[in-house]
Amino acid sequence: MNQSAKMIVVLSVFAVLSGAILAGFYHSVHPRILKNKLEEERKMIFAVLEGSKSYDTVEKTIKGAKGPEIVKIFVGKDESGNIVGYAFTAKGPGFAGTIEVVVGLKLDKKTMFGLRVLNQKETPGLGTKIAQEKFTGQFKGLSIEPKIEYVKNKKPTKPNEIQAVTGATISSRAVVNAVNARVAAVLDILKEENAPPEAEEGGANGRR
Amino acid sequence: MRLILIFISAAVVNNFVLAYFLGICPFLGVSKRLDTAVNMGFATTFVMTLTAVITWLLNEYVIIKFNLPFLQTVSYIIAIAALVQFVEMFIKKSSPPLYRSLGIYLPLITTNCAVLGLALFASLREYSFIESVFFGVGTGVGFTLALIVMSGIREELDFAEIPKSLQGVPITLLIAGMLALAFMGFAGLLSV
Amino acid sequence: MADDKSLFSVFKNGIWTENTITVIVLGMCPTLATSNSASGALAMGLAATFVIICSSAMVSMVRNIVPGGVRIAAYVLIMATFVTVADFYLQAFFPEMSKVLGAYVALIVVNCMILARAEIFACKNGIAPSMADALGTGIGFTWVLLVLSFIREILGSGSIFGFVILSENVFNPWVVMILPPGAFITLGLFIGGINYFTKHRGASR
Repeated sequence: MNQSAKMIVVLSVFAVLSGAILAGFYHSVHPRILKNKLEEERKMIFAVLEGSKSYDTVEKTIKGAKGPEIVKIFVGKDESGNIVGYAFTAKGPGFAGTIEVVVGLKLDKKTMFGLRVLNQKETPGLGTKIAQEKFTGQFKGLSIEPKIEYVKNKKPTKPNEIQAVTGATISSRAVVNAVNARVAAVLDILKEENAPPEAEEGGANGRR
Repeated sequence: MRLILIFISAAVVNNFVLAYFLGICPFLGVSKRLDTAVNMGFATTFVMTLTAVITWLLNEYVIIKFNLPFLQTVSYIIAIAALVQFVEMFIKKSSPPLYRSLGIYLPLITTNCAVLGLALFASLREYSFIESVFFGVGTGVGFTLALIVMSGIREELDFAEIPKSLQGVPITLLIAGMLALAFMGFAGLLSV
Repeated sequence: MADDKSLFSVFKNGIWTENTITVIVLGMCPTLATSNSASGALAMGLAATFVIICSSAMVSMVRNIVPGGVRIAAYVLIMATFVTVADFYLQAFFPEMSKVLGAYVALIVVNCMILARAEIFACKNGIAPSMADALGTGIGFTWVLLVLSFIREILGSGSIFGFVILSENVFNPWVVMILPPGAFITLGLFIGGINYFTKHRGASR
């Protein structure tokens, strides 16, 4: 019986020590980890909202395809505190995994500032081209009405069209679908939150 | 429907062995003969399914509830070790011949990266309980599938003349590379 | 492992003669997964080396306290603790690396290499030899990882540590090298090559 008791005691002591060490270490580095996450968020937002120097976050829970989802809208502001635009993330299934993008929406809520790809695991050399400026640059000033569309192997003709990456239609389409799906929810939330009315001169100072 | 997708994705499209490099050690070590491969595969699948259940409960009611993310790895691996121990005792009592045929491979399931990997991935992707179960079964089946295919090929290799330097591990890895290439054809089959 | 072996020979052992990846063939999972970029390989190598040194040292320290029956459980607990420390350390101070390695950091805990060293060496030897053995094993693991990653990254993306060496105009990368098949094939050929090299030298295999 002594052996078993010894085993239990030793393991328990180890377990408690382990827990204590981990708890202590975690709490000492946790603030740093949070800071990193925040820094990442800031970089992402400022990349798609030109001219913004700070932002507020609007969070809302909506009914998603998989149950309740939290949607975050980042309201970017310039130095004077005027709203510059709205940023939000969108994600959807791509060719080989989930693609996540961040979108910048202009004050008029009809055109985009631009888009950046945050996470993707698409086929290197093909699908990964969606992360390059050649593809994402097309979203600068793109109209989102009635919805974003893509064309293959020819130049886009309408203000809401972009050209898919040759040989990576599925990846390109995933980006378009993800943005379209999310934009509707974002516009709804903005309407509810009584976002400032559309800018008359299309600038950061557009406020009635 | 989503559950079927998760299952197929885990078993074929994103096969743990050929796409995520999990479970390589047993894959290289046990794939010489078809019958040992099948036994190992089933035993592992069984353990993986149970692991999915237990780690989900652990995650939901302990880690998340009390906000202890730093205990996730430690608690998961202990749960897995305990689970394998119980499964071993259970098989020993209920079916001695099965126990003998599995031999040393049973306790080795504890260090099978695929088991811990499954638990970690399921938590990372925030699968629900039933999704985790399907994921567990799917990854186990995928592992078994890779094992069976590999052992079938290796049994045939016994009749081939392989350069001395490549015998054993190297040729197995090269074959695995071709299998991985083949399985890549499944990419884009479905998206989960 | 006799106790009278010098510290240096113990250390050397892990680097070549009993190299984890090429000779003992353990720790395959992280090797294949993280060798597609040199920076990932370096991060994984260092993280694993950290864990193995700390774990072996600790296992050696408590080797006389731990009853035989719960040996493995205790070792795993020790390893898991250090792995978690390494994981959170990376998340705090090297977040990009943490993202690249992802769950594979946590998977170091089932890296058979570490448990094997604990079971074979650390529980039977003093702290200094155990740490020498651990350091040698860790470095042995890391250098193979680096060589593999150099091959894969240059051929697969034309870069090293992210710095583009062969731009796409000069060399169209063999993308397969950074994908799973490339991992298997590179490692297979590498081990095969080492086998040939050591056989050539008269070492029996």
